[in-house]
Amino acid sequence: MVHTRTSLEAAHASIRLLVEEKLRYLAPMTAIFLTCYIGLTALAAFAKPFVGLKVVGHVNLGFVLIAFNYVLSWGLAIAYGYIAQHKFDPLAARAAAASREAETVK
Amino acid sequence: MTITLGIFTVILLITVGITYWAARRTATTSDFYAADSGLTAAQNGFALAGDWCSAAAFLGFSGLTALYGMDGAFYAIGPLVAFCTVLFLIAEPMRNTGKYTLGDIVRSRMQTRTSLLAVIAGTVVVNFAYLMPQMAGAGVLVRLLTGISYDWAVIFVGVSMIVYVAFGGMLATTWVQIVKAVLMLSAGAIILVMILSQVSFNPLLLFEQAETKYTASYLLPGNYLKNPFDQISLALGYVFGLAGLPHVMTRFYTVPDAKTARRSVVWVMFLAGSFFLCTTIFGLAAADFLGQDNIRAVDKGGNLALPLLAQYLAGGKGSFGGDLMLGFVAAVAVATILAVVSALTLSTSSAIAHDFYVNWVKHGHVAGKQEVWIARAVSIVVGLLAIGLGILAQGVNVAVLVILAICVAASANFPVLVLSLFWRRFNTGGVIGGMTLGLVSSVLLAMIGPAMRGADALWPLVNPTIVSLPLGFLGGVLGTLIAGRDINNEKRFDAFLLQVHTGVERK
Repeated sequence: MVHTRTSLEAAHASIRLLVEEKLRYLAPMTAIFLTCYIGLTALAAFAKPFVGLKVVGHVNLGFVLIAFNYVLSWGLAIAYGYIAQHKFDPLAARAAAASREAETVK
Repeated sequence: MTITLGIFTVILLITVGITYWAARRTATTSDFYAADSGLTAAQNGFALAGDWCSAAAFLGFSGLTALYGMDGAFYAIGPLVAFCTVLFLIAEPMRNTGKYTLGDIVRSRMQTRTSLLAVIAGTVVVNFAYLMPQMAGAGVLVRLLTGISYDWAVIFVGVSMIVYVAFGGMLATTWVQIVKAVLMLSAGAIILVMILSQVSFNPLLLFEQAETKYTASYLLPGNYLKNPFDQISLALGYVFGLAGLPHVMTRFYTVPDAKTARRSVVWVMFLAGSFFLCTTIFGLAAADFLGQDNIRAVDKGGNLALPLLAQYLAGGKGSFGGDLMLGFVAAVAVATILAVVSALTLSTSSAIAHDFYVNWVKHGHVAGKQEVWIARAVSIVVGLLAIGLGILAQGVNVAVLVILAICVAASANFPVLVLSLFWRRFNTGGVIGGMTLGLVSSVLLAMIGPAMRGADALWPLVNPTIVSLPLGFLGGVLGTLIAGRDINNEKRFDAFLLQVHTGVERK
């Protein structure tokens, strides 16, 4: 019985570790895309002349920022895939293994 | 017209063939609701693209850009950014925790009947609010493209979706979406190359021509979205609403595990995202080559800008190439509608058959074989209801419903989902509080806003998400606090977290 509880506790502890790890990456990543996208919207809504500044030929800053949001979304998606595979998946596998151990002992 | 009908008949025959094939492989509940979770990441990515790009995205974004410049490009980026939220917070937990519906997640977290009922309400309201304007849009579009009457167009679309869903379940729906996505992306790629070849492969020229033709204000924001807070509301609705749309989120049940769900999101972000990006180029090209007046002359809202552009690029009106491209794009538009309404019908039927009838009314005591037949029957009823509502909607301004669907998804479904997945103390009271406050405030504010009442609006925003989304979260928190602590529920949270993050379910 004692063993059961330990394995289960170990599983829950590694899950908490995983959640912390996820927060450490996902909180800033979420903040980045929200700031960039909602920020762009707010600029367009309240700072029209600024958004209308010409950057490349006839293309203004607004369109450049829109293009940047595309690139950012794709970049974050690839970064997430990489981080999840290398940071989250091993922790999740450890938690799952600990939990399965608790199951078999019980 | 004849070419459109011809191409469309071919697409229709393909989808009927798919349904016949899928029907023979659909026997269990897992087949019917989730295509037996057997899809690959790429397949689900294409299906997600087919599911998420409605006619409003396929035709609407280009049209908006053509007529209103930068605001159209704003409309197009939101649906891509929205997938960041889904990827970071929802897709994998969804796959790990649920089986067939959005309700599954809240049910396994709360294990109470009342919370399940609240989630069913959220799903049904969002889906019908989304389905009705799709049916009305289908009626208008099919009439415009083929010449058959509005009522018959709605009936035709409705019967097709009933056939796909009732016989082929999720497998047929999925492949209809994949076929549609492939057609949509091919049409987009062809049009893109044709546009670029006209401007010696320098898209910057499109901006120059547009500015010369329509002055610099055309390339500035605010031509379509007049109220700045509406603009922010729209953005919030996209980023958080997608994660609360049951007909898109249930797609994650069609893959075997969380890793595949994750990869399928990356797929859809590149597939659909590239298309959204192109709609801005299509819109500018349409404004440059066709002229806004000519676009408006055919459809005031600009919805036919893309088919007309395709016709122009391939040789113009009367030429064989022009008619062929017009027919192709028009047929893809109809396929687009079919893919979306099928997904909505399936997801509504799943919520009613699986969540409401089987799990709520019957406490889960229904044999699998029987449940499949119930779900099929429900899908027929839902489909007939959608046809009826679609016919009633003719001439009625249904735009408010589109806003409502995404607003309720963001303000009611999303807070409940997020709090269920991440907050230990969240309880049944919170589910009810969040769902109620989010749903009621969305509906109320949309009804008294300018979309419904025009100049008599009691409240200035067309899209209330900026207010109703915080209210939804507030309702979730207040409901939780008022209901008091549920110690058993909090104790179960560790086991729930284990399942959310690893997929391991402990009995």
